[in-house]
Amino acid sequence: MGPLTAFAVNPDGVRFETQEAEEVVILFLRQHIIVNLGWVILAVILILAPTVLFPLLASGLGLSFSVPVGYVILGTLFWYLGTFGFILAKFLGWYFNIYIVTNERVVDIDFYYLLYKRFSQAELNKIQDISYASGGIFATFFNYGNVTIETAGEMPNLEFDKVPYPEKVVETVRNLTEQIQNNNL
Amino acid sequence: MNIDFFTFGALVLKILVLVGFAVYAIFAVVMVRQEYLMAHVLEESFEPFLRMLVFVHLAAAVGLFFLALVIL
Repeated sequence: MGPLTAFAVNPDGVRFETQEAEEVVILFLRQHIIVNLGWVILAVILILAPTVLFPLLASGLGLSFSVPVGYVILGTLFWYLGTFGFILAKFLGWYFNIYIVTNERVVDIDFYYLLYKRFSQAELNKIQDISYASGGIFATFFNYGNVTIETAGEMPNLEFDKVPYPEKVVETVRNLTEQIQNNNL
Repeated sequence: MNIDFFTFGALVLKILVLVGFAVYAIFAVVMVRQEYLMAHVLEESFEPFLRMLVFVHLAAAVGLFFLALVIL
């Protein structure tokens, strides 16, 4: 499985926290890679800014000022370091924000702003309904959407945000829940 | 005592820059710590490369702080 994988069926070499010995990962999901486009464009602008945008702005506005060379060096280095940190933080946020379907349950692991983590799960036999919604130009073009998993009782619903092939996710989870129901009969 | 306004201003600016770089280095440490926690949640083959990147980021942040100490 590659680092940019957002949809994998029966993936190899993937283990997650609290996975039991006999538990098998059936589906491994992340948000569709296209959702990263916004910050990737911003990162490109940040990378180009010191060499292209700032000189253009300075000459366009007729600004003329001198900065000590030490501050220029440190400022430039800090700019690129900050850009690197921004890219890294955004990528980590996407990379570790995962949705997993196993033969026993569905799992939603979210990280917010590098500091907050949320681990949600629902046993397959507690799932009451599963549906998906897909809308907008990007979602239609790249075929991604939100999958909503409604659970029994007071357990919170799970939502897989912007996952690729939502119809396949729904179909897979529905097949697994039917299998479990048939086994229980 | 006669304090040169520009010397004082340069000193304040230097301290502010150093504090800013130190805060950024702390952010880099938080990122390393968070990567460890995230990797504990998900074990995958690409994770060692990500760990290397967050350490490179931390080393660069600390290096920049010391470079600022020397240059400014």
